[in-house]
Amino acid sequence: MNVAGAGFEPPSSADFIFSPFIGQSAYLTKPIALVFLSVLFISIFFIVAAKKAAIVPSRLQFAGESLYGFVRNDLGRDIIGPEFIRFVPFLFTMFTFVLVNNIFGIVPFLQFPTMSRFSFPVVLSVLTFVVFHATAIKHKGLGGYLKEIMFMPGVPKLVYIILTPMELMTFFFTRPVTLAVRLFANMFAGHLLLLVFILGGDHLLHGAIGLKLVSPFAFTIGIALTFFEFLVQCLQAYIFTLLTALYIAGALSDEH
Amino acid sequence: MSAILRDAMSQQGTPESGPKNPGDGAAWSIVSYLLSGLIFWGGAGWLLDRWLGTKVFILVGLILGAGASLYLVWLRYGRQ
Repeated sequence: MNVAGAGFEPPSSADFIFSPFIGQSAYLTKPIALVFLSVLFISIFFIVAAKKAAIVPSRLQFAGESLYGFVRNDLGRDIIGPEFIRFVPFLFTMFTFVLVNNIFGIVPFLQFPTMSRFSFPVVLSVLTFVVFHATAIKHKGLGGYLKEIMFMPGVPKLVYIILTPMELMTFFFTRPVTLAVRLFANMFAGHLLLLVFILGGDHLLHGAIGLKLVSPFAFTIGIALTFFEFLVQCLQAYIFTLLTALYIAGALSDEH
Repeated sequence: MSAILRDAMSQQGTPESGPKNPGDGAAWSIVSYLLSGLIFWGGAGWLLDRWLGTKVFILVGLILGAGASLYLVWLRYGRQ
């Protein structure tokens, strides 16, 4: 990379593939280590935050409670409605897990958003898929649920030929796919963008004198983009959980 | 009921307070409806084109799909 005279090698999807720490095991790579780290971090954080619960909360307890209150009230109660409380653990786990793994993208030394490897969002999206369908089937019965999806009330019979396949596709294909792809693509693109500016800046720094002068601009944009990435990372964790809550709300509603 | 109590209650939000206001998250879930229409009917048109050796049905399918998606979104979210 910093060998003089070598051409700049632009970051690519190859930068998302890590070699194993030990031997050839495909399970001992950085993204997987990060997932374990995130679970460890979230567990310790909330155990410590909840341990000495007091009426006048410590700063840590306040942080933990605010986060929990946000998911419970804004994502659970306001969207799902009266039966929200049994979905709060799921939503809360989902939100904190995605949030921490996204933010790993800009944490010094970790610097890799786990969700930019497609299989992680896929697993989370499958979880959501199972939860909202199971909820709906439990709530409405399989027949009732399918009927609700396929036959919108108040539509002429012939129109069902056009609408029914689209509805089925939305519920069983597009919803889980868009959920996974949105999270993956945002994290992937964001990480790539940071790589371009920061590795690019580094390359310029090792170039000719004219290039050295330009290098600070690349780093400046890189730093600005890091802050921007922080926003995107929080927003994507929020949207992922918001959509999960919306799908569960749809599964529980009787209006259609 | 005293004004203070009423204030406190309205701030807390009753547990039964309306399930979901559609405006909030609907925008995000509409995306999958729009995609479904395009993919399904566009795909059907494309298959028909391949079968018949024509080039017009994919266009017809995409337009039909886009229109039907908008109609479906209106049915789901627009007509309260």
